[in-house]
Amino acid sequence: MFFHIVLERNMQLHPRHFGRNLREHIISKLMKDVEGTCSGRHGFVVAITSVENIGKGLIRDGTGFVTFPVKYQCVVFRPFKGEILEAVVSMVNKMGFFAEAGPVQIFVSNHLIPDDMEFQSGDMPNYTTSDGSVKIQKDSEVRLKIIGTRVDATEIDKNISQSRPKWDPAGSHPSRFFCIGTIKDDFLGVINDPTTI
Amino acid sequence: MSLATDSPVNSSSSDDLAAFLDAELDSNSLGSSPEKEAEDKDEDEESIDEEAENEEARDDKDLERIKRRKTQIVETIQERPGPTSLGNLEEKTVSLGTDNCPHPGSLGGMCYRCGKRLEEESGVTFSYICKGLRLGNDEIDRLRNTDMKHLLRHRKLYLILDLDHTLLNSTLLLHLTPEEDYLKSQADSLQDVSKGSLFMLAFMNMMTKLRPFVHTFLKEASEMFEMYIYTMGDRPYALEMAKLLDPSREYFNARVISRDDGTQRHQKGLDVVLGQESAVLILDDTENAWTKHRDNLILMERYHFFASSCRQFGYHCQSLSQLRSDESELEGALASVLKVLKRIHNIFFDELANDLAGRDVRQVLKMVRGEVLKGCKLVFSHVFPTKFPADTHYLWKMAEQLGATCSIELDPSVTHVVSTDARTEKSRWAAKEAKFLVDPRWIETANFLWQRQPEENFPVQQTKPEENFHAKQMKDQ
Repeated sequence: MFFHIVLERNMQLHPRHFGRNLREHIISKLMKDVEGTCSGRHGFVVAITSVENIGKGLIRDGTGFVTFPVKYQCVVFRPFKGEILEAVVSMVNKMGFFAEAGPVQIFVSNHLIPDDMEFQSGDMPNYTTSDGSVKIQKDSEVRLKIIGTRVDATEIDKNISQSRPKWDPAGSHPSRFFCIGTIKDDFLGVINDPTTI
Repeated sequence: MSLATDSPVNSSSSDDLAAFLDAELDSNSLGSSPEKEAEDKDEDEESIDEEAENEEARDDKDLERIKRRKTQIVETIQERPGPTSLGNLEEKTVSLGTDNCPHPGSLGGMCYRCGKRLEEESGVTFSYICKGLRLGNDEIDRLRNTDMKHLLRHRKLYLILDLDHTLLNSTLLLHLTPEEDYLKSQADSLQDVSKGSLFMLAFMNMMTKLRPFVHTFLKEASEMFEMYIYTMGDRPYALEMAKLLDPSREYFNARVISRDDGTQRHQKGLDVVLGQESAVLILDDTENAWTKHRDNLILMERYHFFASSCRQFGYHCQSLSQLRSDESELEGALASVLKVLKRIHNIFFDELANDLAGRDVRQVLKMVRGEVLKGCKLVFSHVFPTKFPADTHYLWKMAEQLGATCSIELDPSVTHVVSTDARTEKSRWAAKEAKFLVDPRWIETANFLWQRQPEENFPVQQTKPEENFHAKQMKDQ
């Protein structure tokens, strides 16, 4: 779920930036440091919308660096247990499938896939109903419910997402969200069939 | 739904959406409605024909704006056949209870059935399927059964392939001898690996040579078997080799098991394979790695291409690379093993009389093996040390597995005398009675090539022969 919240951060600035463009430097450094990162409490910072306040700078003893407390408004994204999300299927195997909703990765095991859907292996593995009317395969869009979340302080598993996603130009993250989901409840499941596009 | 059970306590650090929303939103105006809606839903769950009523009840609740927007999609989902929707409702009550969940397995520390965080982790790790996956024993059995039915319907069994010395031979670049330097210029391109066999992997400081016939072998075996790679190398090595053997990921996909995925050091096991033991065949050059599953194992002759590989096993002869030659493509080990695999597959699916679930590929393997030297009666001479219990010797046991009968005494029904010295009494008896006199390597070759070899190719030397195992490979070309 997306939220628009106020966060605070202490920005350290090198003396070479002191001058006319001090405020711009602080803001651009803030954007570079914070946008695209993820914290366990707030989730992923998607974008900074505005800077509310930049406090008085404090000179650090011993070095010439100055610390500015910056209050800023930003859009964050965080998955919650019980939340219903739309996600894109990235990998299907006999244990279930992996789906991605932006930076969040969700695993739906075959226990939580409706019983009438069976796994079909092949070069495009998928889950299909017995009459073939509903099919879940790579790039299908599904609506799922999150039943468990976890903040993972490890690296992205390269087997799952082959290419670096667009929201993460910086690269590695200190933490990631990983969720378990279900499509066994009412109104959950495939919402868009990629083969009919 | 869980809305009714959660108290609106200020717990913004919890990951429960409902509690968080209650805390953040103004509880006055909206606090009463979620509870009312929850009560309605609970009542609906208990009644029997609730489908239509549920629909109406939910449509009345304007709190969820989403439902109004998506009524079209809701209707199409409702058109699914009846049993599904009823089944859904029953399952809903089951999936809610995290306490009666048997926790079949976990991903990243969370049970993937109920989402609960699991404190102690039990079961077997299957990190080659996806990172952080652990499965409990019941779940493994259930998966094995469903997978078995699925594969048998497609007429496939499981085949586990070793990498080193079975399908390929690798060497570190610094172990290359000067005579092998010519290989560096002959390496095939890494862009299109489907045609090549010699690859230079500079980023891993090694060079790999694929065994002749391997591409055809994999293609034909994949039609009869679901294949796994199981190697004692580490994970990055295993994945690189899988990329060379299977660039389009059609043969192995994620089924690459390395020593990091095994449960025991220095031992390979079928516990990390999601397949029934009665349908698994293993192709490996090392018998000691599979002590618990000897009955499933087809022993392969080792492929020594590089000089370092020969030296590693104590052979002091020239390697194939130094001799600038290679194993025969059409008559080498992989080609013979492929014929055996086809035979076993045929017998399993076409000739066995009992029903599919009761068949055991190990029995078929034993039967096929027992046909190689059928009808031969062997006596050994100058092979075992004196006073050695002959029937515990590996050659004796190998010959018996191949279907021959072995005996200590000479008699008219003996067909072969296996000897290392042509001057012993038994050897001279064989020559006199026009029986076959063969070297012990005749038995070993039959074991590797799954065929009775012409006895003339294995004469007994007058003096002790030097160990030159390449001579047989060269002869087959």
